[in-house]
Amino acid sequence: MKELRETFAHDTWVMPYLKKYKKLLVLVLFLGFITFLCGGALMFNSGYLISMAARMPNSFEYIYVPVVLARAFGIGRPVFRYAERLTSHNWVLRIVSDFRKKLYQSVERKATAIQRSHQTGDILSILADDIEHIENLYLTTVFPMVVGWLLYLFIVIGIASLNWLVGLLMLLLLGVIVILLPLVSVATNGVREFQEHQIQHQFYTNLTDQVLGLGDWMISGRYNDFQAIQDKPINEIAALRKKDHYFQWWRNLAVQIMILVSVVVLLIWTGKDFTTTKMKANWIAAFALALFPATDPFLNISQGASEWPIYRRSIQRINQFDNNDSNAKDDSNQAVDKFENLAFKDVTFQYKDGDQNILSKLNFQVKAGEKIALLGPSGTGKSTLLKLMIGDENPTSGSVEVNGISVKDLQANRSKIFGVLDQKPYLFDTTVMNNMRLGNPKASDQQVKDAIKAVGLADLIESLPKKYDTEVQEAGGRFSGGERQRLSLARILLQDAPVIVLDEPTVSLDPITEKDLLNQVFDLLKDKTIIWVTHHLAGINHVNQVYFMEHGNFDMAGTPQHLYHTEPRFKQLYDLDRGK
Amino acid sequence: MIDQRLFDLPGMKKNAAVIGIMIFIQALAIIIQGRYLSVAIVNLWNIQALSTILVPTVIFGIAFAARHLFTMGENRFLYPSVEKITGDMRKNLMAKIFRLGPAEVEKRGTGNVVTMALEGIDQVQTYLMLVIIKMMDMSITPWLILLYIAYLNIWQVLFLFIIYPVIILFMIILGLAAQAKADRQYEGYTRLSNHFVDTLRGLPTLKQLGLSKQYANNVYEVSESYRKETMSTLVIALTSTFALDFFTTLSIAVVAVLLGFDLMYGKVPLLPALTILVLAPDYFLPIRNFANDYHATLNGKNALTAVLDVLKEPEVKDRKVLKDFTWDQNSDLKFDNLDFTHRGSKKKSLTGVSFDVSGFKKIGIIGESGSGKTTLINLIAGFLSPDDPNKVSINGQVLPHLDQQSWQKNFLYIPQAPYIFHDTLANNISFYVQKATKEEVQTAANRAGLTDFIATLPDGLDTMIGEGAREVSGGQAQRIALARAFLDTSRKVLIFDEPTAHLDIETEVALKKDILPVFNNHLVFFATHRLHWINEMDYVLVMDHGRLVEQGTPEELSKENGVYTALRQKMEEADL
Repeated sequence: MKELRETFAHDTWVMPYLKKYKKLLVLVLFLGFITFLCGGALMFNSGYLISMAARMPNSFEYIYVPVVLARAFGIGRPVFRYAERLTSHNWVLRIVSDFRKKLYQSVERKATAIQRSHQTGDILSILADDIEHIENLYLTTVFPMVVGWLLYLFIVIGIASLNWLVGLLMLLLLGVIVILLPLVSVATNGVREFQEHQIQHQFYTNLTDQVLGLGDWMISGRYNDFQAIQDKPINEIAALRKKDHYFQWWRNLAVQIMILVSVVVLLIWTGKDFTTTKMKANWIAAFALALFPATDPFLNISQGASEWPIYRRSIQRINQFDNNDSNAKDDSNQAVDKFENLAFKDVTFQYKDGDQNILSKLNFQVKAGEKIALLGPSGTGKSTLLKLMIGDENPTSGSVEVNGISVKDLQANRSKIFGVLDQKPYLFDTTVMNNMRLGNPKASDQQVKDAIKAVGLADLIESLPKKYDTEVQEAGGRFSGGERQRLSLARILLQDAPVIVLDEPTVSLDPITEKDLLNQVFDLLKDKTIIWVTHHLAGINHVNQVYFMEHGNFDMAGTPQHLYHTEPRFKQLYDLDRGK
Repeated sequence: MIDQRLFDLPGMKKNAAVIGIMIFIQALAIIIQGRYLSVAIVNLWNIQALSTILVPTVIFGIAFAARHLFTMGENRFLYPSVEKITGDMRKNLMAKIFRLGPAEVEKRGTGNVVTMALEGIDQVQTYLMLVIIKMMDMSITPWLILLYIAYLNIWQVLFLFIIYPVIILFMIILGLAAQAKADRQYEGYTRLSNHFVDTLRGLPTLKQLGLSKQYANNVYEVSESYRKETMSTLVIALTSTFALDFFTTLSIAVVAVLLGFDLMYGKVPLLPALTILVLAPDYFLPIRNFANDYHATLNGKNALTAVLDVLKEPEVKDRKVLKDFTWDQNSDLKFDNLDFTHRGSKKKSLTGVSFDVSGFKKIGIIGESGSGKTTLINLIAGFLSPDDPNKVSINGQVLPHLDQQSWQKNFLYIPQAPYIFHDTLANNISFYVQKATKEEVQTAANRAGLTDFIATLPDGLDTMIGEGAREVSGGQAQRIALARAFLDTSRKVLIFDEPTAHLDIETEVALKKDILPVFNNHLVFFATHRLHWINEMDYVLVMDHGRLVEQGTPEELSKENGVYTALRQKMEEADL
């Protein structure tokens, strides 16, 4: 119970939506209740019907009502069940739409335009899975459980109104099934589930590690070691799972025994109270038979409850993700008419959880139309510099300004100033045309075609059967790396921002493709201001200024020609890059 | 409905037989339970004393308990052997993956392989547990009950007997159509959920384009339009369940009404009539259970198919043709007019490749992307096999391919991104030489230029590195691979596949200084598109469109006016 309260104490994912779609929820539960009620009533009625008929009444009227009811309940049960399933799916899918939007928004708040790591992708899949878990929580745990409890109350109150003592007995006997056993399940399974999750997680990590390093395993010939690593977690999981299964089977048996005892109690009670007259005795079969179908929904309550730990983890994770939403930005919507210059003024930066300055007292200025290149070994702060430049991060001290206005105040109109081409520009799983229009939603078909022509892909696209309506497939898989870069370049042309940030756009391309792409980029963007982060010196002749970064500051800067003639280090790197 | 492959699993036929016998006894218990409950009720109905129901109630109780004990018994009997089957299956799967190697993993995706070995096998386990018991239940219990009812009253039986095939027929007709829809639906669902992840992953791009805020509505709309679509198909898809439910429930109602009329006209006594009514739900129960678990079994079935698929993959044969040897001064490797075609492709990836290398030499492999550099490297390392056998030879011995165990013992393979295991730095370095002492590892690490890096680590060589621990940069990963080469003095062949392609120029320069010494006394294959490396090579293979177009020393090649010269010129074009 305490756990339950803790889980939902700061919950913004489950409870609010229960309230939002309250009416539908009540309908779902009502239909579920009626479904099983019909099932019980059918047997109740049938028991009475044949008992009554066996008295051979002289008129059909005696069994007329039960005959009609039998058909009504017989049809009612499947119909209500059908309706219940449709409504509950509809309800859950509605919630999923809300969940998706909410999750998207929380991710959106944290996302940055400059990023290199690929791991985030996995976290996102986990979160998407969590949403599905919460869906299942409703369909397999919450709905059956609430319906079961409603039915439980109905049975107990119904019988108690005839004989309070038997009612009390039912309260206890069936209570074991719907309350005690689920609690026991959560308690025992909770612990096991936790252990299993730990081992499973470790196993998953080991196995992924092994599969990724398979080449080394194979060449090393260490087959026995390879197998031995898996044995321990597999055996541990198997042992836990065995316990889990055995527990389930015993529990199911216990549930059935409780039902058996309840039926016997009803038999004895009816045998005592209903054998006074023949008419009354007709009800005995009704009570005895009705209990089996009525207890149908009870059977799965414990199983649903024992899955709670999985759901709890999902709810906690997703709430946590939502809550540590620290850097929600206050967008200011100042605008810049015509880009004139960009300046870093005494910029010092340190990550909140870091202990050293990534950048320290950095100063530089870029005027409209200038092209600059930024080099340096990984980890020296190149990406951080870009993040500060476009406003994904704010300086610890100092300021970053465009035309003298802090970029912090320009965030709402950022895409009108900066265009970004990075290592892995993303193409969405839709048509070429739609992907291009993301650059400028108002672009005409002709403008899109012109942009694609400019990047030299018109022939390729025109040759495809569906031309501009070709699906690019997941992550742009239909096109090669170079083609994807060009499509993104076309998108940037459509976006038409004055400052273009190139974040190592050629890192995964071969030298020839790289050279062609760079020539094209600098040719098409000759009127723009370009800030280019690069990992080597191919194409460096395109820029006006080169900056070498080392430990958060520039240790070499100048025009490429100047550096080539005055800096031996630059000359050595440059020559190497050209194969000398 | 019946999966023939199940019976090919070891011990399954015997298991099915035992389960069949248990279910038979269970079905008898069901009948006894129904019978004696009815006896007790009828006694009370006849206003007999409460004591008269003692015996029937006790029999009912025992039969009822026996029935459910048998349910547990069936599970407990089956579980150990299912556990063993799936356990062995997992082992075989991993062993198979080990033998098939990285090419197979690449084809299927790392995530898929791991998921298959974990969740996939779990699903197979669930599937086996469910399907055998449910299948036996469905094919035994209803018919026994039917026989008993027939013994009680022929006329009612006819009705039940007719309705059963009708239900099955409906399930097949409606079910197949609806299920196909439901399955498509499920696919659509997966697609949507992928689409959602796709959107999340593309968020940086949306941010760059200034669209991220308004895209939230798009996410909602896509999801909502999917919901509407889903609901309209669900209306149909759920009809199969509805039909099953409708027929089974209504049948019980109809049986009750018909019995009611018969009783009223005195055609049957109450006891058999009540027994039939009590048994009717149990008659329909197996088929309902089977339908309920349809989706759980479907997942398991697909998982089983996927696992068996991998297990059936053809393996490379003749991996022990090459005699044990150690590459030395006089060893020789020869490719003789070799062709290679990727599986499923019609076009040859390599055509007529011939070269002959011997002793300790440094062989550079260059060419544009797609020219066949990596394919050639994979053939040399034996990850791929040539189209025709007997096109390669080592020390004069003609071989079907280079996937030879004794060849593997002679080389180290260093790719663009060497894999770093989630383990200590020391264990990563000594991966190939398990017996290495700490001093040897330390020396190798120093020679590979890791000294400064180790100094920054909290536990030095014993620091955990790799995914989830301390991340290692691309340059450091290369150095760790290099340390492996320094440590393992028994392997005299080094195969590099574009080791510096991802590195920045300064890191590459620093790394190059440390790589060069390891080249001594080794046969080195070095595929690269960074041409400065070529100056360090003794011999160069130039690839172009799947052909080995030029080969020779760098000096020889630079004199020819061929592909090599053109490639160099393209790189050098711009001058400052």
